[in-house]
Amino acid sequence: MAENTDKMVIDGVELVGIWKEFMPSRILYEDVTTEFLNEVKKLPGGETIAKCYQCGTCTGGCTLPEFVNKFNPRGFINLVRRGHYDLLVSDYKELVWKCVSCNRCTHRCPKGVNTQEVVRAIAKFLEDRKVFGKLTNDEAFDEVFMDEVINEGRIDEVKIVKDFYAKTGRLKEMMSGDQLSLGFKMFTSGRIKLFGGKIKDWKKVSQRLKEELQ
Amino acid sequence: MKTVLVIGGGVTGLKASYELAEMGYNVSLVEKEDYLGGQVAKHKYYKLAPDMRLAGEVIDPVIKSVENNSNIKVYKHSTITSLSGDAPEFKVKIKNSKGESEETFGAIVVATGFEHFDPTVKQEYGYSRFKDVVTNAEIEEMLNPNGPTKGELKRPSDGKIPKKVAIFQCVGSRDKQVGNPYCCRVGCVVSTKQAIEIKEKYPDTEVYVYYMDMRMFGRGWEELYGKAMEEYEVIFTRGRGAEVTLKNQQLSLRAEETIMDRPIQHSVDMIILAAGQAPGEGTIEAAKILGLKQNDYGYLAPKDDFLSPNESSRKGIFIAGADKGPLDIENCIVEGAAVAAKVASSLK
Repeated sequence: MAENTDKMVIDGVELVGIWKEFMPSRILYEDVTTEFLNEVKKLPGGETIAKCYQCGTCTGGCTLPEFVNKFNPRGFINLVRRGHYDLLVSDYKELVWKCVSCNRCTHRCPKGVNTQEVVRAIAKFLEDRKVFGKLTNDEAFDEVFMDEVINEGRIDEVKIVKDFYAKTGRLKEMMSGDQLSLGFKMFTSGRIKLFGGKIKDWKKVSQRLKEELQ
Repeated sequence: MKTVLVIGGGVTGLKASYELAEMGYNVSLVEKEDYLGGQVAKHKYYKLAPDMRLAGEVIDPVIKSVENNSNIKVYKHSTITSLSGDAPEFKVKIKNSKGESEETFGAIVVATGFEHFDPTVKQEYGYSRFKDVVTNAEIEEMLNPNGPTKGELKRPSDGKIPKKVAIFQCVGSRDKQVGNPYCCRVGCVVSTKQAIEIKEKYPDTEVYVYYMDMRMFGRGWEELYGKAMEEYEVIFTRGRGAEVTLKNQQLSLRAEETIMDRPIQHSVDMIILAAGQAPGEGTIEAAKILGLKQNDYGYLAPKDDFLSPNESSRKGIFIAGADKGPLDIENCIVEGAAVAAKVASSLK
């Protein structure tokens, strides 16, 4: 057999390589890898991702595309599996979260993929990679709320509002006249309490919760 | 005349010979190579899809039953050179190293089979230019413990175990450029089987299959396809392999990820071409000598595809197996038995 070569010369005529010298090729995607597939597979809910054979039943029957045009569970799975990470981040990172968990996809999947959970796992995978940058107000509130529940076991409204404004860097805004007078009104009408009160021995529960969520 | 000539000592010919001998006919089996078993033996097929059964387990008993049968005369390393007469008295000249002899037969069974497509003509895939571009038949030999690499998958260029392997489907099939617009019927399942075998042996090696459709119509094939995806994490990418080049001294393939509308370039260590089936030289020669009708691609044409699938265009000459078109081993055995029944009823 011939040596490895990019040229093929037959009767003195180059048959393969010459055209490449003056025709530039398209920009091609090169990072084909199974790295991301393996990562998502290890996340809770991501176990069934490898079963998918890309029939499109999930996307075809999905609740969302009517409202979110580009929402495509089949596409998300394919992007992860083939390692098209750049496309997933640039075009789909905001969409992955929009799933409403109606589970039509999961019930209809002919291959036994738990699609809804896989989509969640992909969202988690993106979150772990910190592709979302600055938190939106919704996300910041979610985090503050969850922290409060886990740490105290009970909601302390004043503390939550304070933490939320602190987290989004708007403490000054909170101290403005409007906000203060609204707070005062809510306090006098009994809508909010100054101190949330404590739950006995919550520390132990909190410890256990944190371990479980690790 | 209770004598039958069977041309071709592959799976189909062996099965036909055995069944005819069991029915009391005197069979002469002519094989051009000096071994029996056809392509299965030639390329040392290792395991058979979908059960991962050893090919030897299937073919060895068939060969033994033929060699031990007193009604069968085996001519190895022999060919037929001419035919005269008509049914039911064919006079055939059989030639081998000892010379030429003429014999008379009541019927002839042609089971000359197929040959693996030679991908050299698909020059964009670089077969015969790049050492690490190999065919699926070569992989069978490699994976077989009795093969040249003693069952190890080694890159031909440096003997290393490849970390990334790509498999190209439909090489020389479904391709009008090379004159084979038909489906080879076995490439999909053979590639899936080989991918599983590679992953079983080397779990760290990534296997990528580039396909247009995965045509898993046989018994247990679809299940095997699912198994390859779920248990072995073989990555199936829809998009036909377009070309193979060298990039930084590594093989680099180009294809389109058609599901994502995205052209890709993928660096791999080894590329396996799932070469399809083509009518063998033996089939074309037999058609010439026996005066049989061929179809557009060189395969032998049955008298009627539906009503008399094992009769050739000429009375008294029967055809069976992969010389009629691409076929898998399981169905070749069925064909062998079917043609034996047809011959027996015609010689009554």
